[in-house]
Amino acid sequence: MDVARLRESFAHVAVHGDELPLFFYSDLFLKHPEVRGMFPVSMAAQRSHLVDALVKIVSQVDSVDDLTVFLEGLGRDHRKFGVVAEHYDAVGASLLATLEHFSGPAWTPEVAADWKAAYALIGSVMTAAASADERLRPPWWRGTVVAHEPRSFDVSVLFVQPEPRMDYLPGQSVAIESSSRPRLWRYYSIANAPRQDGLLEFHIRLIDGGAVSMALTSSTVAGTELRLGPPVGVLTLSQPVSGRDLLLVAGSTGLAPLKAILDQVASLPRPPKVHLFFGARTADGLYDLESLEKMAAQYSWLTITPAVSADPKFAGETGSLPDVVARHGDWSGHDAYLAGPTKMVRDAAARLASAGVPQDQIHIEDFGWSEP
Amino acid sequence: MTTAWFDDKSRMTPAELQTVTFPTSRLGRRGYEEEAVRGFLSAVHAEFVHLMNERTSLWQEVQRLRRRIIAGESDGEPQAVLFGEADAHVHAVRILSTAQVTADQYVADAQDYSSRLTLEAKRRRDEIMQEAQQYSDMLLEDAHTKAREAAVSALNVAAAPQSDEKQQAAQAELAYLRTYSDVYRAHLRAYTEGILRGIEEWERKEAASLQEAAQAAHAAQAVPPGGPRAINGDASAPLRGRG
Repeated sequence: MDVARLRESFAHVAVHGDELPLFFYSDLFLKHPEVRGMFPVSMAAQRSHLVDALVKIVSQVDSVDDLTVFLEGLGRDHRKFGVVAEHYDAVGASLLATLEHFSGPAWTPEVAADWKAAYALIGSVMTAAASADERLRPPWWRGTVVAHEPRSFDVSVLFVQPEPRMDYLPGQSVAIESSSRPRLWRYYSIANAPRQDGLLEFHIRLIDGGAVSMALTSSTVAGTELRLGPPVGVLTLSQPVSGRDLLLVAGSTGLAPLKAILDQVASLPRPPKVHLFFGARTADGLYDLESLEKMAAQYSWLTITPAVSADPKFAGETGSLPDVVARHGDWSGHDAYLAGPTKMVRDAAARLASAGVPQDQIHIEDFGWSEP
Repeated sequence: MTTAWFDDKSRMTPAELQTVTFPTSRLGRRGYEEEAVRGFLSAVHAEFVHLMNERTSLWQEVQRLRRRIIAGESDGEPQAVLFGEADAHVHAVRILSTAQVTADQYVADAQDYSSRLTLEAKRRRDEIMQEAQQYSDMLLEDAHTKAREAAVSALNVAAAPQSDEKQQAAQAELAYLRTYSDVYRAHLRAYTEGILRGIEEWERKEAASLQEAAQAAHAAQAVPPGGPRAINGDASAPLRGRG
C-alpha cells in the first residue's frame, strides 16, 4: 500500500464534498436495501460522520497505533447499530465503487489496489475488536423506564432498569435510543454508582429542537422501552485513589456523572473531602439540589455550593460557575472533575490550570471516537 | 486521448481558494473588507465544487457514450447497445440521492420549526411566570400591609381602654384580614399551578404532534425512492392540523 498515493487519491475525490457520501450511501442502499433500516431517516449527520472518519483514517494511515485504537473503538461502537461481519464486505464494495466513480481516469489498478488493501485493514481491525467485545457484553441493553420525574421546565430525571445487568464505572455514559426516534443515539451520563438492583438514573435536559431529548423528556413514561449502548467514557475516579480532596464542578445536567462519582466516594472506607459546585442559569435549573442537600446533611466530608449565573436576586452564589469556583480559594491540591456545557467546562479547566492546578489533576470527559 | 481535466495540475482547485491569503494593506484603511473577500471566496468555493461535480458526471456520460459507440461498432450495429446495466445503476444512485437529500431537508425543516416553537414557548413561559410573580408579590404585599395595620390598631385598642364593642370590631377585622391573606395565598397558588399545568399540557401536545410528524416522515421515507411528493404530504399534514 502506497500511503502517499492513497492520500493523493483521497484529496482528489474529497473536493466533491457531500456528493461523495451521498453516492456511497445510495449505492449501498441500492445494492443492499435491507441495511437502510439501520440508519436514521435523515442521513445528513451520517454523511458528515462518514467523511470525518475517512479523513481521520487517511490522515493517520501511517501511524498504526493511533489508528488501531480509533478503529477498534469504532468497531465496538458499531455493534449497537446491529452491524455484523457480513456488512463490512457490502460497505467495502460501495466505498470502492464511490471512489472509482469520483476518481475518473485517476482510478488506476494501483490506486484501486491501495484502497482495497486499506479497507481490508480497516475492516479486519474493526471486526476483530467487535468479535472480542462480543464475548464480554451484549451489543446493546434493553432499558425499561421505571420512573420519569419532571424536575423543572426542561430537565427530567429518568430511572431505567437495564436488562441484563450493566457493569460500568461511576462517571461513564451510555448512548440512548428511543423507539420514537429510531436510529438516533445520544450519549447520557449515568448519575449513580452501580446499585444492587442495577437501576440507572439519567438526567435529561430538553435541547431546543433536539430530537432525542424531546422524546426522552416529553413522551417517555414508566414502561417505555429504550435501547442503551455500552458504557463509555474516562471521567472516572482515578485508581488507585490519589488521597487528594475532590473538587466537582457541575453545570446543569453535567451534574449526572459527578453525582455518580459522589455516590462512589460515599462508599469508600475513608472518603476524601468533597466540594461540589452545582451551577445553572436560574434557581429553577438547580433541579437536583434537594437530593444533594440531603447528602450534604448526611456526610460531613461533603460541601455543596449552588450557584446561579443569570439571576442577581438569587440568595446564594451568583456569577459564572468558573468565577464562583475561582472565588472559593486555592484548588491546587485537589483532583478536579468538571462536567456540563462545553464552554463552561473549557473555561473552568482553563481557570483552574492558570490558578495552579496541575493538568493531570483536571479531569474532563473525552468522547474521542464515540462522540455521537 | 487528451489530458483529462482531473490531471491538469496547473488548474486552480477549490482547496486553493480556501487557503489563499492576501497581504494586509499597509495603509490601514485601504484595501478590501476582509469579511467581504471571505464571503466571496466561500461562494466561489461552492460554485467550484458544483462545477467539478457537474464535470464528473459529464465525464462519466462521455465515457458511457464512448463505450456504447465502441461496443456498437464491434457489433456492426450502432443501436445494439442501449442503456447498460452500469449506467442504470448510476442513474438509480442519483435518483435515490435526490430523494434522500429531499427527505433530509424535510427533517431539518421540522427540527428547525420545533426549535423555534420551543424557544417561543419558553419566552412566553418566562413572561407569564414573571407577570404572575409580580401580581402575586403585589397582592401579598397589600394583604400584609392591611394585616399589619389591623394588628397595630388592635394593639392600640388593647392599650387604650375602649368599649368592648370597638375591641370586638377590631379583632373581627384582624381575623378577617388574616383569612383574607390566607385565601389570597391559596388562590394565587391555584392560579399559578393552573398556568403551569396549561403550559405542560401544551408542551406535551406539541411534542406529540411533532412525533407524529416525524413518524409520518419516516413511514413515507421507508419506501425508497418513494418520491418527495409523498413525503411532503405525509410529513406536513400533522403540522398543519395542529390547532
